[in-house]
Amino acid sequence: MAKSQSDIRKWFMKSHEKGNDNAAAKPAKSAPPPPKAAEKPSQAKSQLEKPVQGSEDKDNSGRRKTSKYFATEKPKDEKERVEVPAKRKTQNDGDDFIKPSPAKKIHKVDDDEDFVMPDTKKKSVDATPRKKLKSGPGRGAGQKPVDIDESDDDDGDIKDLVSPSKSGGRGRGGRGGSATPTGGRGGSATPSGGRGRGAGRGGFMNFGERKDPPNKGQKEVPEGAPDCLAGLTFVISGFKKLIRELRRFALASRGVSLEANRGIRAACTRLKPHAPQRFKPQRRTPQLTRLKPHRDQLKRSFRGVFLPPRLEVRLKALEREEAEDLIKRHGGRVTGSVSKKTNYLLCDEDIGGRKSEKAKELGTAFLTEDGLFDMIRASNHAKAPRQESKKSVDNAAVSLPKKSVQKTETKKDCTSGTPSKTVSNKGLTSDVSPRKNVQTTALTWTEKYKPKVPNDIIGNQSLVKQLHDWLARWHEQFLDAGSNKKGKKTNDSGAKKAVLLSGTPGIGKTTSAKLVSQMLGFQTIEVNASDSRGKADAKIERGIGGSNANSVKELVSNESLSFNNMDWSKHPKTVLIMDEVDGMSAGDRGGIADLISSIKISKIPIICICNDRYSQKLKSLVNYCLLLSFRKPTKQQMAKRLMQVANFEGLQVNEIALEELAERVNGDMRMALNQLHYMSLSMSVIKFDDVRQRMLMSAKDEDISPFTAVEKLFGFNAGKLRMDERIDLSMSDLDLVPLIIQENYLNYRPSSVGKDDNGIKRMNSIARAAESIGDGDIFNVQIRKYRQWQLSQNSALSSCIIPSALLHGQRETLEQGERNFNRFGGWLGKNSTQGKNLRLLEDLHVHFLASRESNLGR
Amino acid sequence: MLWVDKYRPKTLDQVLVHQDVAQNLKKLVTEQDCPHLLFYGPSGSGKKTLILALIRQIFGASADKVKVENRTWKIDAGSRTIDLELTTLSSTNHVELSPSDAGFQDRYIVQEIIKEMAKNRPIDTKGKKGFKVLVLNEVDKLSREAQHSLRRTMEKYSAYCRLILCCNSSSKVSEAIRSRCLNVRINAPTEEQVILLAIVIVSLGETLPCTYVCSNLKDIVMLGFGYFVSYNPIIKVLEFIGKKEGLQIPSGFADRIAEKSNRSLRRAILSFETCRVQQYPFTSNQTIPPMDWEEYISEIASDIMKEQSPKRLYQVRLKLYELLVNCIPPEIILKRLLYELLRKLDAELKHEVCHWAAYYEHRMRLGQKAIFHIEAFVAKFMSIYKAFLIATFG
Repeated sequence: MAKSQSDIRKWFMKSHEKGNDNAAAKPAKSAPPPPKAAEKPSQAKSQLEKPVQGSEDKDNSGRRKTSKYFATEKPKDEKERVEVPAKRKTQNDGDDFIKPSPAKKIHKVDDDEDFVMPDTKKKSVDATPRKKLKSGPGRGAGQKPVDIDESDDDDGDIKDLVSPSKSGGRGRGGRGGSATPTGGRGGSATPSGGRGRGAGRGGFMNFGERKDPPNKGQKEVPEGAPDCLAGLTFVISGFKKLIRELRRFALASRGVSLEANRGIRAACTRLKPHAPQRFKPQRRTPQLTRLKPHRDQLKRSFRGVFLPPRLEVRLKALEREEAEDLIKRHGGRVTGSVSKKTNYLLCDEDIGGRKSEKAKELGTAFLTEDGLFDMIRASNHAKAPRQESKKSVDNAAVSLPKKSVQKTETKKDCTSGTPSKTVSNKGLTSDVSPRKNVQTTALTWTEKYKPKVPNDIIGNQSLVKQLHDWLARWHEQFLDAGSNKKGKKTNDSGAKKAVLLSGTPGIGKTTSAKLVSQMLGFQTIEVNASDSRGKADAKIERGIGGSNANSVKELVSNESLSFNNMDWSKHPKTVLIMDEVDGMSAGDRGGIADLISSIKISKIPIICICNDRYSQKLKSLVNYCLLLSFRKPTKQQMAKRLMQVANFEGLQVNEIALEELAERVNGDMRMALNQLHYMSLSMSVIKFDDVRQRMLMSAKDEDISPFTAVEKLFGFNAGKLRMDERIDLSMSDLDLVPLIIQENYLNYRPSSVGKDDNGIKRMNSIARAAESIGDGDIFNVQIRKYRQWQLSQNSALSSCIIPSALLHGQRETLEQGERNFNRFGGWLGKNSTQGKNLRLLEDLHVHFLASRESNLGR
Repeated sequence: MLWVDKYRPKTLDQVLVHQDVAQNLKKLVTEQDCPHLLFYGPSGSGKKTLILALIRQIFGASADKVKVENRTWKIDAGSRTIDLELTTLSSTNHVELSPSDAGFQDRYIVQEIIKEMAKNRPIDTKGKKGFKVLVLNEVDKLSREAQHSLRRTMEKYSAYCRLILCCNSSSKVSEAIRSRCLNVRINAPTEEQVILLAIVIVSLGETLPCTYVCSNLKDIVMLGFGYFVSYNPIIKVLEFIGKKEGLQIPSGFADRIAEKSNRSLRRAILSFETCRVQQYPFTSNQTIPPMDWEEYISEIASDIMKEQSPKRLYQVRLKLYELLVNCIPPEIILKRLLYELLRKLDAELKHEVCHWAAYYEHRMRLGQKAIFHIEAFVAKFMSIYKAFLIATFG
């Protein structure tokens, strides 16, 4: 076997060996050339269903993975190919790499039915080398042993769930198939097949005959069993690649009109990754935060630009959030990048790019929108008990690798907080330690579950460590060093006499500062925004004034006395925490300068805390401080902790719900706890939808663009919106939304009128809508002219809600070459042109009059 | 100088289309004090001409010396101050302004600026007239509030200020104001008058300093040049003109101009001048360049009749925008559109369509964004017409 290794393989192995001593060593020796490797196990295990295909697949997936090209001639074959590989591979790999015990082998043989944890464990181990093989160098030894096999097995399970509802004849291998559009849950609507969910493995690329992906909003979004996607991980793909392609298009497009080209260029420049700060932080994970404004902007910039249909379609299909919500609602999880954990890559077509390549590499299944819908729909039909059992298997399967993942985060919590319900409960019972405050007091949860030791702090452990080190070495560095040499001048990390912690609210800066000080035996003195922090009196030497600043000065300089007396070791050490230094306002004149001078002379450590380290006010301060920027904890970290809290409080929460909560609060642990506390008052079981609803309510302030609002109002599902939601939407911008609605209401083919042979019903609806828009205008006059603001709801009703209620449906283009997006309201532009022309006319008129009069007068 | 301005009568005596009105006005101001006046009538009928002539009659030649003034007024409106820019045309004795230019802030103009102007006595007390005149254009476009505040001003300061209001439709002027004024209706000249007018202008060419808008042939003769022209108007006049100017006016040409002008003197003269520029020796079938916007509207109307679909409605909207952008007043668009539609419409629908046109015209006035209402009318029409077509032809 080793002999037959190809050179390339060897090369790969080598690079692994560097980083990975135990896992990679074995594969290096035993990694088989694909064909042989496949054959051998197939002989060994005759029970396996399709050994030959498996081997074939191994071949395909192993070797040609990077080039995508399986034609579609043999859909059936392909299906099978797609189906088998995951298991087959595992087994192959397992055989070859790890030499599993006979017992394990037996397990494997029937693993598609009785998938049990030992298997998973084993696989999670053996997957690593296999993956290494494929991914080549760059994967370190510390890689999390999460495995693709496990996820693929989940696939299998789900598929089993789903298959009963499918059209017959698909058999086990039906996964990637798309013989029937409805049946192909992975399959796109293309009967030509080949771009099914399994396409990542095999036949992927059908660019030529690919039909446009289904437009969003044209299909009813299905509602499935609440937990039908539980345990599955999805990645939504296709965005960055699209941007890249658009840019390329912009560069290449000489044929495009100058203006269009400019639009594209503008969009692309705006999309350049190096400008992330400009985007407002929103309540999303960082990744999506960065993408969301992009998307809107992109859509807007390309409005009216003629694009190749391929790009056009994809630009249209950028509806991540909806998909995300859908998945989450059904218990799935959405991550930002493809990993071995990922079960599905959700994308409408193969668009290449890192994610899809990686997915292919990892054998992650590809899923289209249709496929997702089918999956969810199928969950309704599937028999409930079966689903349950499968799910638990899923969970069990998922849980183990997850655990090991989290090892890296905090050693302490490594056994707790796994994403699946069963295990997390188990983990938590063991994890909830006596350090928690057991008594049920009226304390808010934020107080009650405040970290008690630095290790409790979620995330930022390295920063906490840094802070700890800095504080621990402060005295020797600055006070002891003072005796032999000028310690201040040293340039290492401890050289700054003060530290500046920065980060968004609620991520534990103050807590960290306090806990670390406390741990090191410092007595903390906290000065925050509630104290006046102006410049100290110049006469400080004369005596201590009442001013707080004076006492700070005194505190800072007094320590020198105790140091001089050489008894500071006995004396309780003190640390000054200047909280909210960026909040020093007009009342605290000279506060920062004073703080700096205090730092210079200080004999005690000073910890400054701020939210925005780039604030103009702190510009001078940062030079004197060691900067520690706290990052937001990841949602998993937060969810884990929230789970502990919830369990401790006897609250039944699902992991996904907590992650959603963590995501919505944008890393603010305090807010998350508060929200959880609040929700716990009214309910004892919290589900994803509850969290979502609640957070949506509180997140209403987040600005929703008028385009989005209009899109929602006119959307296919708009009929389901509640009235207050509609009012909220139309009120999101009282000026623009009506205008955009007026501009676009003609474009919608109302779904409510039903069969409409000659368009008469639609015409009637349009007439009604137009009249209602006119009403809205009249209301608007009343509002603006006579300040009858109490009419604003009526205005929203007649100018937005009635037209959209009459006409909501599918959008269609009215003109050739028009982009199927809502146009911006034309009234504003036209009105301003009209205004300009009127002014000109008026001027002309007056001058005419004047000249005539004078001419005649002469 | 455009013929329109060039041949505009300057004194009441010269005014001849509305000669009776002019004579009455003359008597009014010479014999006694002048009341507030409200001139109303369609555009191009000579309201402004009469007003200017009247002012000249009152104040003499000093009324001709006008200056254009563009001034920004600071108005203290309770909690805030509003900057209003207003262009006025003023002589020592009169001020002319269009308060409706200020849009929805017009009531500040009425309450503050007009009041301010009305309050001040004219400085020149030596003059016979102890009052000055404020000419307000487009009073029908004033908001209700502005009109309400106007009526108090009219009463309170009537001692030394006369208002002359000018508008197209008296129905849009509140009753209170109408009752405070002497209403003068200036109707559109008849087609004959227009024809004659056109002929006069052509025939005179540049030869006379000014020409008079004539109400009948006699007047031409008397006022123009002392020639006698028989009572059979057109042909005789044509002959005369041919003699006079060496112009060939084919028979029917002047007729068509008059017809196209829609009884508006201004339009008649303008299109006449256009024709003259376009092609001097007139031919009988020379096309009289139509007003672009009218063409456009009739195009819109035929579009609407041809197809009733959202797509068509969208195209119509774009065309309507085009008209509005070019400062065609929405009321006129709607009116013209109705006119064009009615020409093509079955009789049984006419009543209903008229009803809706009136309905939306009213709403347009209540509202602000005219396009919405015109579009609503078009949509309504399409819906009605489509139903009608389906009912009729299946």
